[in-house]
Amino acid sequence: MKCSPFDVRDYFLQELPESEQRQVEVHVKSCQGCREELEQLRATEASLMCLRDKEIPQRIAFVSDKIFEPSPARRWWSSFWGSTARLGFASAAMLSTAIVVYSFHPVGAAAPVAMTASVAPAPAAVVQTVSDNDIQARIDAAVAKAVASVETRQSVQNVALLKKMESVRREMIIASGELEYSQKKIIAYNRRQWDGPNDMVPVSQQDAK
Amino acid sequence: MIFRAVEDADLIRRAARGDVEGFNLLVSRWEKRVYNYLLRITANREDALDLTQDVFLKAYQNLRKLDDVSRFAPWLYRIAHNEAYSMFRKRKPETDVDEVEPEAVETGITVGGNAVFPMELNIAVATALDRLNPDQREAVVLKIYQGFKFEEMSEILGCPVSTVKSRLYTALELLKVELAPMKARGVS
Repeated sequence: MKCSPFDVRDYFLQELPESEQRQVEVHVKSCQGCREELEQLRATEASLMCLRDKEIPQRIAFVSDKIFEPSPARRWWSSFWGSTARLGFASAAMLSTAIVVYSFHPVGAAAPVAMTASVAPAPAAVVQTVSDNDIQARIDAAVAKAVASVETRQSVQNVALLKKMESVRREMIIASGELEYSQKKIIAYNRRQWDGPNDMVPVSQQDAK
Repeated sequence: MIFRAVEDADLIRRAARGDVEGFNLLVSRWEKRVYNYLLRITANREDALDLTQDVFLKAYQNLRKLDDVSRFAPWLYRIAHNEAYSMFRKRKPETDVDEVEPEAVETGITVGGNAVFPMELNIAVATALDRLNPDQREAVVLKIYQGFKFEEMSEILGCPVSTVKSRLYTALELLKVELAPMKARGVS
């Protein structure tokens, strides 16, 4: 709509900066034409939105591929932290261990020098570095496996399709045979009709005459 | 929405470092959206599913080339767009892709022979979308159904914003006319 300071369609699609949006809002309140334009756009969008998204028929093979499942240790670790009972048991065990240790080594029994001596040096941080080659190898292996999975699925579909085509072909052969037989019967019937009723008399009776 | 975007960015960084669980999560978040985009532009469920598979394979292979993780969505849809048009070209090698009318858009009326959406409006909308040319339809799908900004659509489609706007506004005008009788009859 030309009378609007900015394009009403841009406003409707929320493509204008905030200040411009406000200007169009003010304009639309006082302009019947732009208001109608906006209402039409809203109605069109509402109609379009009645076509809902479809659910994906199957998960992407890449996700369900075994290579992408977490390692057993990791699964155990996550299930451990996910279980309240196990967590409670572990906490109780740690607490009881701490009490036992404390009972054998009361505070102040050890000399400060001994305490400092008992502090072990912090272990070097274990940094898990995965080289680019490793990552690339994992990616390549995963991709190859996913591609193989897709190809297997497609080949299964092809086999099913071929079977269906074969059964359809057989049905067509049978149907064409039946059609041919029916056509022959019709031709024979028509011939008898054209030749007259005498021809309908059995051969044995004709011979008797 | 912002929280979700941050999460996605984190997953993308993890996946780019080779963390497959991160990529799995990313796929599970995006697969339905990408599938529906491809379904609406290819009008074929099998094709859409196979293409979605290919899109995520390509995305995984090339994720480390994505410099700006905030551009993941248009980057992913750009792959999807390219995959779909590559398929169109393979199937119709001697015809200009822009002139190819895709097969009848899935109307949503029947799936496997059973009535699914018997509503009159669904049929009217599917028919109206079917009458758009492929470029116009894709612009509507990206804007209305997928909610992309013009700039992102320009990136996905590989054309200027002005072209995107022109396609979209022409499409909306046509749809407005096509769907107006439905509104007048009180269907919507």
